[in-house]
Amino acid sequence: MSNKSKISLSEEELVLALRRHEKIAVEALYDMYSSSLYGVISRIIVDTAVAEDVLQETFVKIWHSFASYSTEKGRLFTWMVNIARNLAIDKLRSKDFKNQNKNQELEINVTFIDEQRNTVYKPELLGIKDLVQTLKADQKEILELVYFKGYTHVEAADELGIPLGTIKTRLRMAIQQLRKHFN
Amino acid sequence: MKVEDIKAYIESGILELYVLGDVTSSEKLHVEEMASQHPAIKAELDEIERSMELFAAANAVEPPAQLRDRVLNSLLTNFGDDNNFPTKHPQPVKENVIAMPAPKANGFYKYAFAACFALLIASVVALFSVYNKLQNANTQLIALNSTNQKFSSTVNFMDHQLSVYRDTSFKVIKLKGTAHLPNGLMLVAFSPAKKKVIIDMADLKMPANDKEHQYQLWAIVGKTPVSLGVFDKDAADNSLMKEMKSVPVAQAFAVTLEPRGGSINPTMDQMMVIGNL
Repeated sequence: MSNKSKISLSEEELVLALRRHEKIAVEALYDMYSSSLYGVISRIIVDTAVAEDVLQETFVKIWHSFASYSTEKGRLFTWMVNIARNLAIDKLRSKDFKNQNKNQELEINVTFIDEQRNTVYKPELLGIKDLVQTLKADQKEILELVYFKGYTHVEAADELGIPLGTIKTRLRMAIQQLRKHFN
Repeated sequence: MKVEDIKAYIESGILELYVLGDVTSSEKLHVEEMASQHPAIKAELDEIERSMELFAAANAVEPPAQLRDRVLNSLLTNFGDDNNFPTKHPQPVKENVIAMPAPKANGFYKYAFAACFALLIASVVALFSVYNKLQNANTQLIALNSTNQKFSSTVNFMDHQLSVYRDTSFKVIKLKGTAHLPNGLMLVAFSPAKKKVIIDMADLKMPANDKEHQYQLWAIVGKTPVSLGVFDKDAADNSLMKEMKSVPVAQAFAVTLEPRGGSINPTMDQMMVIGNL
């Protein structure tokens, strides 16, 4: 799909249009945010088909619970990405998904683990090389775990064997670094 | 809250966790309350959100093109359910739709009527058969009834006859054959008390009379013969007894052969049997 056919609205316009149940709002919502949301989902869930299902579930849930979104609480994307991440993590921890992975274990155990724990960004992504270079290794690590693997900061502290306070500080530093980068 | 406290709050990292959704519901409410009270916190939150949004955009992965239609369709279907979103419904492809022959509405009644009619015929046949059997049974019943009546009247009659033998007032007189009928024999039961005379037809040993003649029974009262009526000796007649006219007294009984209907006076030379008391 080419970028020309994509619909883009300002966030304010989009929120208003969604509240008015306009068809164009749904298309704009998808065109504006599907790739960002899918970027998060597809890193948490490696199985493409399952990741696609989760993306669809995410948009359905966004629509059904849109009344609960308030601009005062924050940006639309923050609200949406948390829905997407929660659905993806729920799926990852669901019984079905675990059973499915057990079946795969013997054959693709190694590649599966590699994909799950791969800390290398996909090279096709624009600006990633710069972004990677701006982050220190420990910052990158914590951002990976919390943002792309669905770890809570408590789980990340356990995983990395460092105190909670340090996790919080590192996370803040990483995001500060991103802010600098994007500004 | 002092500026230093706000700064410390910002630097605690709680705002980043809030943006990442990694806070408890009470922490979430607290951050939202702080943000609404302190513009600096609100501004910081907004900055973090923008950064993360840009970070996500930088890490974006384009989903497969066909997923767009799938997702939009599922959402538009939901809109359709809500009845507040105009959607175009594709016109059904009529060429591919082959109309099924409409089921005949009266099909059921047709079969029902046929079934009823068949049932009616079967019922009529059965009724006719039953009626015939009933008629046969009735005929048999009538026959049985008449037989029963015959038996019952026979039994009554025989009871009556038996009573004659049981009745001690009866005397049985043997009338013996004369020169005309040496082997002739007749039994007469006579009850002077009841003035009854009964003859035994079963053991009557006399020849059958012809159609012009009849036997006539006489009672000899003093020297005078008194007619007690006529009777026939007929092989076809199987009655056992016959009651004759009554007479109070008699010295003897005799039977003569007389013209049919009997005579006033006995024809003495045609006397068949005679017996004295």
